[in-house]
Amino acid sequence: MKIVLSWLNEYIDLNDISDEKIAQELTMAGLEVEGITDYRQVYNNFITAEVVEKEKHPNADKLSLCKVSTGNEVLQIVCGAPNVAAGQKVALACEGARIPDSDFVIKSTKLRGQLSQGMICSEAELGISNDHSGILVLPENTIPGLPLAEAIGYNDVVFEIGITPNRPDALSHIGVARDLSALLNRPLRKKEPVISRDSEKIGDKVAIEIEDLENCPRYSAVVVKDVKIGESPDWMKSRLKMAGMRPINNIVDITNYIMLELGQPLHAFDLDNLSGSKIVVKRSKNGSKFTTLDSVERELRDSVLMICDGEKEVAIAGIMGGENSEVHENTRNILIESAYFNPTSVRRSARYLGLSTEASYRFERGTNYEGTMTAALRAAELMVQFAGGIVLMGELDVVSDKLITKTVDLRYARVEKILGYHVPDDFVLSILQNLEFRVVGGDSEKLTVEIPGFRPDVEREIDLIEEIARINGYDNIPPVERVTSPLESSIDYMETLNSLRAKMIGFGFNEIMNNSLQPFETAKATGEPVVLMNPLNAEMSVLRTSLIQGGLDTVRHNINNGEKDLMLFETGHVINKVGESLTSFENISEQSAISIILTGRASQKTWSSEERFFDIHDLKGYLNSLLETYLNTNKLSYVYNTEEQGIYEYSADIFAGEEKLGTYGKVTDAFAAKYDIKQVVFCAELFVNCIQRNSDKLRKYVPLLKYPKIVRDMALIFDSNIKYGDIAAFIRKNSSSLLKSVDLFDKYENDKVLGEGKVSLAFTLEFFDKERTLTEEEVEKEFSGLINKITKQFNAVLRGN
Amino acid sequence: MLNKISDTRNSFTSDVVNVRSARELEDLRIKYLSRNGIVANLFEEFKSVTPEEKRVLGKELNILREELQSKYDELKESIELSSKAAAPKIDLSLPGRMPASGTAHLIPQTMTEIMSIFKKIGFSVVTGPEIESDWNNFGALNFPADHPARDMQDTFFVNNDFVLRTHTTPVQVRIMEKQAPPIRAIMPGRVYRNEAINSRSYCMFHQVDGIYVDKNVTFAELKGTLVHFAKEYYGSSVKYKFRPSFFPFTEPSAEMDITCFICGGSGCRVCKHSGWLEILGCGMVDPNVFKSVGYDPEEVTGYAFGMGIERIAMLKHDINDIRLLFENDVRFLKQF
Repeated sequence: MKIVLSWLNEYIDLNDISDEKIAQELTMAGLEVEGITDYRQVYNNFITAEVVEKEKHPNADKLSLCKVSTGNEVLQIVCGAPNVAAGQKVALACEGARIPDSDFVIKSTKLRGQLSQGMICSEAELGISNDHSGILVLPENTIPGLPLAEAIGYNDVVFEIGITPNRPDALSHIGVARDLSALLNRPLRKKEPVISRDSEKIGDKVAIEIEDLENCPRYSAVVVKDVKIGESPDWMKSRLKMAGMRPINNIVDITNYIMLELGQPLHAFDLDNLSGSKIVVKRSKNGSKFTTLDSVERELRDSVLMICDGEKEVAIAGIMGGENSEVHENTRNILIESAYFNPTSVRRSARYLGLSTEASYRFERGTNYEGTMTAALRAAELMVQFAGGIVLMGELDVVSDKLITKTVDLRYARVEKILGYHVPDDFVLSILQNLEFRVVGGDSEKLTVEIPGFRPDVEREIDLIEEIARINGYDNIPPVERVTSPLESSIDYMETLNSLRAKMIGFGFNEIMNNSLQPFETAKATGEPVVLMNPLNAEMSVLRTSLIQGGLDTVRHNINNGEKDLMLFETGHVINKVGESLTSFENISEQSAISIILTGRASQKTWSSEERFFDIHDLKGYLNSLLETYLNTNKLSYVYNTEEQGIYEYSADIFAGEEKLGTYGKVTDAFAAKYDIKQVVFCAELFVNCIQRNSDKLRKYVPLLKYPKIVRDMALIFDSNIKYGDIAAFIRKNSSSLLKSVDLFDKYENDKVLGEGKVSLAFTLEFFDKERTLTEEEVEKEFSGLINKITKQFNAVLRGN
Repeated sequence: MLNKISDTRNSFTSDVVNVRSARELEDLRIKYLSRNGIVANLFEEFKSVTPEEKRVLGKELNILREELQSKYDELKESIELSSKAAAPKIDLSLPGRMPASGTAHLIPQTMTEIMSIFKKIGFSVVTGPEIESDWNNFGALNFPADHPARDMQDTFFVNNDFVLRTHTTPVQVRIMEKQAPPIRAIMPGRVYRNEAINSRSYCMFHQVDGIYVDKNVTFAELKGTLVHFAKEYYGSSVKYKFRPSFFPFTEPSAEMDITCFICGGSGCRVCKHSGWLEILGCGMVDPNVFKSVGYDPEEVTGYAFGMGIERIAMLKHDINDIRLLFENDVRFLKQF
């Protein structure tokens, strides 16, 4: 909302207060001043001028060489605008002028070999509109050499205020003035319209019928006859422009002016274009068409509230008027509509039509239902003054009996209970009165307050307490020095997640974070994606079902930047649809997951190391080491998939008991190719809650070994299709409790030495007993027995025999 | 005196065995061969013996001195040699074998820093889902249907009843629906807004929300707690101000600004020459929120606050493009 200082000054005396102080007061009361523009400063060194001569630039096709008179002297200006012509009055930026919102300062310079002593400006360059199609041409009667600020009416200070949705009252000059009145404890200077009336009665000319009182609880109208359409006075045009509205004609300008002044949107109908001498407010019909005054034909539906005459629809209530009743240059008689429409109804219609206007913006936030008639009369007053009209006797005003003024009790004690400090009772009273809340009763405990129509946001005691706090200043609330904390056990749902993260970072992985919105096709590869109704685009139309895809995006990005050796991990939510439709949380599976990605080299060739590429066993090792923190890895079991499955060429599912903790594997070349990745990528994804659920509750001390271990090695030759895991399991199953561990210390394949299709596996077995020292003999017996069983079971041969 | 000479010889011989370093050798020289050493003392004593004795003793003393000196020289040479031999063959200037060094992403890193401050003063950490019901995300938080307040948060819809949460505030609804007061929790997580991706906005970001509900929670306590946070996180000299604002789920509502930590308040590009940075929104929990979770607003009061993590991390680390955070360029990641 743009607030013009001189306009504001009409409502409250601010002459002795600096612009910065005004801005600070407003900001600290919740009307955040986002910018202060003093146009007289902005247009320093800008003047009016006349183009006396224009010729083509000798060295450039699109440039003109102009002689421009400033009244005192004639300057040479190079101009690139297509519309520049001799005889025009223009806005000239002279040497030293700074182009608004830029650091560009005008100075004499040569452009394509020709001296240019300034710049003829477009509206865009002046910062008053986005129009940069050509230079701004001023009225013919403009005198050259005047300060531009005066000539174009940008001669005031403008505050740009960010208005929160709860403060429709502040979408007007009087609303901002009212807050200042309370903040500075100065009187608000209200205007009472003074109008002389014609003998003709309004009731003889027109009648109001409201069919939908719920959505139009109040409709006020005044008729002004014999107006003469023309331009508005300069000061009004100037204020409208600075507030961001383009002047049209005196009647339309006056309705806009009153909206900016009082916050009440008005509509001016050409009374002679209204058939049947009446205004009817009713709902439209599905599918009917209506052309608004921006010449766009719009399709309506039955919930859209319309203003009609005796025959036809003439305006979309609260949003925009129709072309068929628009004020035009021959309009003589005006009906001023000043209504209160149901905010929800206006908002629904505006959204449905995709049409937001200054009027609908205010109506959907809630306008002042008590002030409709005042606004209509104030507009009529201006139409008498500036359009030569005469106001008919009487007014039309239909008011729903459901429009009841709210009353709220404010307990003094409650103010202190919420804010934590004492505000004196008389202070509470004066703040509310300065904000024009009407105190209608009360006692030593409380005040009874009637809420004025312009404050739809205030409905409850707590809302009044906010008003007290806001006007008294949040700075005056003393921050407590100590806080009390309830003796409740504190929980941390992120503990496991954060310890997993810490461990991965310790391993040397880089943590990544990817967009959780993905294209349907890739997300579908790992689950049943939840689809958005209104995505930004197809590339971000569903929620991720896995963290892997984002990880692959990251891999691609880094490979493209020359970083090919990557150790990455990510934590985040993965989301899958459960069942066909999504009607409850039961239909959504949302899980916290951690992904791990390895690609490229595990180690580089250096003075002390050989180059080695990551393989699946690196990944398995990291996973084992990670999980060891939480649970005994003996509890883990694996289901190996050597066939392609989903996005994996080969993979393994990790189980803790019956529960699947996650999967790891090698991404298929085809899936990697979707991300333009040509190198091998290994990925894992684990579910954090599963890890948490299966974590060891409490680890108990296991006494340290007192007796020596006996270690035996053996190497056997197997058919190469036999799996290590099967052999290890067989050994464990077929040995006594003395065997404590099995490890693979060598794996060797060589067709010449071992024969084709053979592999040598070398095992280390550890034997011990907690209670005693084992004898060589009993271990030897057990060990050789095992070798016999293995050779039989797997058709293996003991090496070295 | 002759005995003394032979004693000296014996003790010297046994001392020599223990000499292994240059330092021990020097100790040996000081003991026997220095100006106040044993040998010098014997010569001093020699001055006072009879001329006869002098003849015999003089010879013996000279022999002793020469013997000790030559032993010493020999030992010195060998120690010098062996110390040269022991000089390291290892080249300590070779580059070390570097383990990969991991990095935490800036967002969880910043979140963790912020959360740790609140955890220390008794806040629990509670999380919630990213797909939320319209009720939890809006309705229960006093965003009426068809109210312009909903325009404040551009929303991704899954369908009419479910949305991608636009803030982590719905987690407070979940906590209060499950548990009676007192409630004291922070709620970190990912949130979504239907906004085009550019250098300053992204379709998702992260928040940490906080809530405290009990019998006598006041705005003054909210201020005290957040001032404590700002001082812990931004330094004890930080200045602050609270400005009135509007959030449907708090009343009164405020935004907290702190002095710009880039320029110290004198005005710079980052703070748009205002000297202040907005860091969080807060307020007293709106009675309508209490009603929607079944609390009695006459019985309990509470405060709530929320902050955007990306904004805080970007300001702190001088990052000018939010997309860098989700591009995961390792050259970027390894900087933090």
